[in-house]
Amino acid sequence: MTGIYAAAMIMVGLLIAAAALVHLVINKPVGAYLRWSLLAYSAMLVVFAIGGIVQMLGTDRAFARAEFVGYLLTAVLFPVGAWWWSRNDRSRAGSAVVLVVALVTPVLIVRIQQVWAGV
Amino acid sequence: MSKRPTLNEGFGRVLVVVYAIFAVAAVARSTVQIISRFDEAPVAYVLSAVAAAIYVVATIALARGDKTSRSVATVAIAIEMAGVVIVGIISLLLPDAFPRASVWSNFGSGYLFIPLVLPIVGLWWLRYTRV
Repeated sequence: MTGIYAAAMIMVGLLIAAAALVHLVINKPVGAYLRWSLLAYSAMLVVFAIGGIVQMLGTDRAFARAEFVGYLLTAVLFPVGAWWWSRNDRSRAGSAVVLVVALVTPVLIVRIQQVWAGV
Repeated sequence: MSKRPTLNEGFGRVLVVVYAIFAVAAVARSTVQIISRFDEAPVAYVLSAVAAAIYVVATIALARGDKTSRSVATVAIAIEMAGVVIVGIISLLLPDAFPRASVWSNFGSGYLFIPLVLPIVGLWWLRYTRV
């Protein structure tokens, strides 16, 4: 798996988490910028998933392939879910949900890299 | 402090999302485990599936938040609490019983102990929002 791209995505996730934390602390509903960044994040994860699956098909190496694909596809859904939630929930909880998802997704990316490495 | 939120308001929504994430993760993981290598560790994998089902039930019950759901959530989370403690103890004392990790092995240490903390927080929230 391309390490730089994955590292960039972890950074983006943490930046979104930081923004969500600010929203949470100052009690401001999730705004357009943060919502769009969630969709952009999903798009990045789609690219990651396609790249990952292509790389997987190009190698004979043994690793947990089903898990790998499962994690890649799940990771795409998380920011979309947070985007949908924050659209419908204008309360503080909406920011908290974005925060949780933006923290979990980088963990998932780390896990994807571990599966790729055969851990 | 204004009036207390109901079960599925405020922090309750964050709880729903965390439960939903665990439900998705546990269902996906146990499906893969059972389909691809059930014979390696049947006990651990059946347990994973049970844990997954409990997370799904708890998620839906917490999200619905009506009176019946409150009871359902309480039972589901109590089973989850018992499960993570019992499996945690067994996996420490008899590591051979769980040759492959499940969500609840070693008190959920593979998941930052969130599986142990989650039912405690869940039960607290059920109590806190009780009317």
